[in-house]
This record gives sequence, structure tokens and C-alpha cells, in this order.
Amino acid sequence: MIEILQWSTLAVCGLIAVVRVPSAVRGENRTLFWIFALMTLAILLSIEAPYVAIDQALGGFNLANLILRFVIFAAILCVGIRVTRGFGATDGYRLLTGRTGMAVLALVSLAVVGVFLLMDSRGSSSGLAQISIRGGRDAVLVEYYGAAGRAYPAYVSLVLLPAMVRALRGSLPLPIRTAAFLLAVGAVAIALTLFFPVMPSGWGPAKFVVNYTAVLCFVVGLALIWAARVRYGRSPARPGTFTEK
Amino acid sequence: MPLPAKAFQRWLHGIAPDASTADVCRVSGIKRTTLAQQLVRGKVAETTVVSISRAYGVNPVSALAGFEAYSLLAVPAPPTRCELVSQISTPDLLRAVLSRSAVDPAGRSAERPPLSPAPHATSVKNWVEAIDDGELRHRVSAATGVAPQNYSAQLTANRLSPELAIATSLAAGVGPAGGLVASGLITEAEAGWPPDARQTALDGLPDGELTTLAGDRLQALGKTLKRQEHDQEQTNKIWENLG
Repeated sequence: MIEILQWSTLAVCGLIAVVRVPSAVRGENRTLFWIFALMTLAILLSIEAPYVAIDQALGGFNLANLILRFVIFAAILCVGIRVTRGFGATDGYRLLTGRTGMAVLALVSLAVVGVFLLMDSRGSSSGLAQISIRGGRDAVLVEYYGAAGRAYPAYVSLVLLPAMVRALRGSLPLPIRTAAFLLAVGAVAIALTLFFPVMPSGWGPAKFVVNYTAVLCFVVGLALIWAARVRYGRSPARPGTFTEK
Repeated sequence: MPLPAKAFQRWLHGIAPDASTADVCRVSGIKRTTLAQQLVRGKVAETTVVSISRAYGVNPVSALAGFEAYSLLAVPAPPTRCELVSQISTPDLLRAVLSRSAVDPAGRSAERPPLSPAPHATSVKNWVEAIDDGELRHRVSAATGVAPQNYSAQLTANRLSPELAIATSLAAGVGPAGGLVASGLITEAEAGWPPDARQTALDGLPDGELTTLAGDRLQALGKTLKRQEHDQEQTNKIWENLG
């Protein structure tokens, strides 16, 4: 079940990235192509088989997981910048790219790298499951490492959430409000990942569902805005107005 | 409130005793699946009755009046002047302002094209505003159990369910058919309004009142356009960044 969810998410995301290649070549909104490409890579790296294969090639000490963390950070930062700018959330944009945002990103990055260097990270396994199973000091460090890795996406999601709720309540076209709804659900899901450490250990499948709900909501939400533009946005003609400027 | 299927069948039998459902649909232009679905659910839409009435040459208002929920329609009452004026479109109203010599002494817009038929782009909201004494919306909400914000949303979208239209008339103490005209369910003529009633009402408005009313309409129009422009701007920005 979880495998199906993983591979189909990968397929959806990869497909969208591929479909966006022509417009990226034309120079339209390259960031969006990078968002989808990075997300595809992130999903690929969170599936056991490709993860192990890639990590073995990188030396087998879970460097791939560290890369995965930064791929996620880059993707979520790009999403945050684009969405806050698109939805006119200047306050949110400042919270991401301003001093606070950069400080949070630097702090979280330092923590992730630091904890990674502290632990004995040998033994490729996605989600560093083997290190957890080994127990001892490293198992504790893995928990901290995971928490730090989830902190930045959660920060960005919480910044995005108010703008999404505002867009939902407004009178924007339906596809955009639907997209805002999906992005809001995704943001809530990412914020929920903060509570993973306090979840009972039997809730593993629930964690997967939350993670993939977040990814799918973001991917589909962003794709929906793009589709709406393709569908309605070609002609910049405005509805007839009486006012002249 | 949609009409009970049983009462509808009885009524249909009364006006077209020998017609099959297929005949009725063909003559009245209703999709067969639509009617079938309404009959299965036991709830027939008011628009169905109106379309069939028109097809069989029956006045839709008296047809609706035959149903219990709409029995009020059996007692016709002439529209008030405010209601009549509310059903004049904003462009027509503005033209009327310009044709007044007090507004334009040069009298450049003397020609008077006939008024466009009701309903117009904001006729529902204008109708409710015309008969509102300030407490009307609360009374309608209380009487029907429809939340005020849902009622307002309908008015803004220029929609009004027949049930709410009747409830609004009743709460305002005006003739029962006005809201049905404003929401476009029936025509002025079907509601029994004389053909030149709106024009006469318009001509009877003093210059000051007409001009103020037109000003209110312009202000509302300006607000709507501004909001549309703002939404359009925001949409463009979203597409620019995320499209």
C-alpha cells in the first residue's frame, strides 16, 4: 500500500516536471520546473530501493539522506517564495527571505549537518531506519536529526498558511481557490510532521500518509494553478470595464 | 422550496391530461433526464413548472399559485414604485438621468430608447434594497432559517431561490411576485405588471431622487468593478509567479 503511494507520487511529480521542461526551456518560470524536479528527486530518495542504490554509490554512509534534507529545503523555499509572491503575501515573503527566514534556514542547516556528523551513519537505509534499530546514542541522534530536518519545512508551511486561508475566503477564480485549499492542506500536513516525535510508535503508516498528503497536495495544487493559466490565462483581456484610466 | 412530485403530477394532469412525459419534455424544452430525476427525488423545481406552463399557454404565476407553498401568489398585488424602479438596469437609469433637463440643461440626450427588460445584472440586490426597511434581511433569515451570510451571498450573485423570493416579499409586505421577476423566474408581464409600468414609475421620479438613486447604483457598480479588477490583478500575479 505504502509502496504504491510512494511510486505513484513519484510518477505524478516526475510527469509534471517532464511536462514543464518545454516551458522551462522557453524561460517561463524556471523556478517552477526546479520545484517539481527537486520534489521528484526528494521522493525518489525517500523510497527504499533507489535510496539504497544511490547511497551505496555515494559511499554507503547515508550521505544521500543529508542531500535529501537539503533538496527538501531548497524545494520548500522555492515554493514559499513563489507562493508568497504570487498570493501577494508580502509579510510572508519577508519572513522567508528576510533576516528571520535566513536565520532559521542557517540554524536548521547547521543543526542537521552537525547532528549528521556526530552520529555513526554507516549502513544505507532510507529514513535512517537501520541506525534507529541499532539503538544507543546514534538512535537518539537520529531522532534529533529528523526533527531538525522537519523544522524548516514546517516553518515555511506555517508562513504560507495565513495567505492560503486568505485566498480561500476571497473571491478569486475557483481553480485558484482550489489550489489554495490544497496548498493549505499540504501546509497543515507538513506542520503536523513536527508532532512525529510524540506520536506512538505504532503510527508509522499514519506518518507516511501525512508525508505523502503534504507532497501530493503541494504538487497537485501548484499544477492546478499552472493548468488554470493554460486554460484561462492565455488572453490577457479583462472583462469589459466602464472605467478609463 | 421545490414542489412535491405528487402535487406536480396532479397539476400536470390538469393542464395536459393526455400528454406523455416525453411529450411534455419536448414541448417545454426540459431535458427528460432532468424531469425524471426531479420526479424520482419527489422534488420538482419551480423552473420546471414555469417552463411547462409557458409551453401549454398557462400563466406560470397562477400555475405556481396552485401549489401550497406558493398559494400567496393567488392574491396578486401591484408592484410598488420602488420595486418597479429597482428593475430598471443601471445603464437605463443613467440614461434617464441624462435626459432630465435639470441634470443636462442642453438636453443633448433627449431620445429615450425603450427600457431593457427585467431582470438586469444586479436586479435581485436592487429589489431587496428597494423594499428593505433596514431589518428586512433579519426578518427573512428568522422566518426561513437561512443564515444571513448565505442570503447575502445569493443577493451578491444576483440569485434568489423562489422560496426566499416569496419569503422576502412577505417579510417586506409587498406583492408576492416581485422577487420572482427580479430573479428572472417569471417575466414582468407574467407577474401582471403593465407593460409601461417601469417607464411610468421612472418618469414619476423627481430629479433629485432619480439622481441620488443613480449615484448609489454607480457607487455599487464602482465597488464591484474595483473588486473585479483587484481579483484580476491578483490572479495575474499568481499566474505570473506560479503559472
